[in-house]
Amino acid sequence: MPEKSKTLVIDQPELLFKASTRRSFLKLLGVGGTIVLMPSVFAACADSGKDSTPTGLGGGTTAAAVSLNLSGDLGILNYAYALEQLEAAFYTAVVGSSVFSTMNAEQQEVMLDLRNHEVIHREFLKAALGTNAIPALTLNGAAVASTLTSIPVILQNAEAFEDLGVSAYNGAGKYLASADYLLLAGKIVSVEARHAAAIRDIRDAMGITGGDAANTRFAGDSVVNSAGLDVKLEPSSVLGRVASTKLVSNAISIGTAPTKASTPDAGPPSPTP
Amino acid sequence: MNSNDTILESIDPDIADRLIKSSDEIAQGRSTSSWVTAALAMGSVPIALAALSKDAFGQTAGSVQDVLNFALMLEIFENEFYKAVLNTSAVAAQNAAFATVRAKVPASAAAAIGQIQKHETAHVATLTAAGAVNVLNLTAASFDFTGARGSGNGPFLAATTDLNFLLLTAQGAEDTGVRAYKGQAGNLMSNSAVLEAALRIHSVEARHASKIRRIRRQTGGPTSVRYSGTVSGGGAAAAGADNVSNPSAGAVAALGLIYAGEDNTTQGGVNVTGLPNLPTTNFGANAASEAFDEPLTKTQVIAIVQGFFIPTIPA
Repeated sequence: MPEKSKTLVIDQPELLFKASTRRSFLKLLGVGGTIVLMPSVFAACADSGKDSTPTGLGGGTTAAAVSLNLSGDLGILNYAYALEQLEAAFYTAVVGSSVFSTMNAEQQEVMLDLRNHEVIHREFLKAALGTNAIPALTLNGAAVASTLTSIPVILQNAEAFEDLGVSAYNGAGKYLASADYLLLAGKIVSVEARHAAAIRDIRDAMGITGGDAANTRFAGDSVVNSAGLDVKLEPSSVLGRVASTKLVSNAISIGTAPTKASTPDAGPPSPTP
Repeated sequence: MNSNDTILESIDPDIADRLIKSSDEIAQGRSTSSWVTAALAMGSVPIALAALSKDAFGQTAGSVQDVLNFALMLEIFENEFYKAVLNTSAVAAQNAAFATVRAKVPASAAAAIGQIQKHETAHVATLTAAGAVNVLNLTAASFDFTGARGSGNGPFLAATTDLNFLLLTAQGAEDTGVRAYKGQAGNLMSNSAVLEAALRIHSVEARHASKIRRIRRQTGGPTSVRYSGTVSGGGAAAAGADNVSNPSAGAVAALGLIYAGEDNTTQGGVNVTGLPNLPTTNFGANAASEAFDEPLTKTQVIAIVQGFFIPTIPA
């Protein structure tokens, strides 16, 4: 088999919704091939792609390392942009997967809403950052495929992403110097929290307690402590969790730490299957 | 604490030199930044906030204190509302008012409301520990949950008998809370510890609002009440009151205030609906408004909640 057949290049968002693309996508998932989401899928190329040059072919090939300068607001926003890229790619893949059509109407509505919201978050941050934006990240096709094998697996991963997103924004707000950016982050994080509660509630109804009492998982004791405070994680912890998923081929590191003092982490547990 | 020290320097967890062994030490009111430092080092935000309130806190800008007092007022209101619904209010008349609707609340929803009320109680305690003052001396008897400031015959009276209306009211209370905290975040930037605690309460309120919306959708609410728990569109229509029979004009007006401006689609000067690479299939017209929650000013929040408070809320 020529190497070419193991790599599927998706360079237009519309391709994600074509049946032929989905078939290739699924075929590749079966053989551990590589799926490359080209920058045009993620982001605008109006500035001739200077800041969104493909950084690698994923799946074990080299992807450019990304270093974040968290001592300034642009670095914090890029940190958010990285997370939103991951979330948007995940839900885009979910909606394009064969499992999606087997979901019930409620699950499909939630997955489409979350796909729409996360793509908007990604594109908004990309636009707000302009030429300061980090590149489009390269995903590891095999790792992405492993998150899409069944409805329970998709929901488990969705819960992890949403609780991680809430943790990240809650932990990063204090590092923003601009009140305008803090407000924008606040506008996004409450939407992530709504998502997290919805996914957790769906799993609750499926009998997945994760240690929380029935009908309380939306804001269960596993994520809201006895002081009534939600999860939060420092950027280093969030990036560590992202790296452990192996979903992103790019190494994302903190080049410059935030200038303000950190606070102790209170992260979400790993979702139980 | 040296008056030249900043709050941030005083709470650097890396310079912790001792741990607080019991809350008794806090209660002694020892004025030293090491309490704050130590509490943060052991991961206890409430204890750290308690220490702040007795130490450096008094030296910070008045706006932080104002936000804490404002937040406490809203949390007491929410807490007392849910306690009345759950028959656990300290005032018998508040419990009795909700007797009819209480019998209609399914056990699954009651469990969710119980979890929400537990958090509101925790928020009252956490804010109080942070130095928030109950300036109106609010008690369980300070509220008229029908929205009439005491007569018990206000525009939300139907919430005491109609389950759909009760859940709509709870949704409005939670979404107001989310918007209120969001609107105050910028006033807390001088104090990282308080800001972070407020952000962590803010997202809990959003989880609550999401769950209430999901219960409503699962029990006959319209499709504008999203299963994703997000707010679709703005104004009274965003409340999704379609499954509530004959809501009073006063309630509709209040819902209009609660969701005013939620349909905003311009963020940071960017027209969200005009962004590139947005999905072209199954992309609802309201997705752009759903993706961002909007803030409310203190004045807007007071206009919404004043009807439920018997005392007059100062501006």
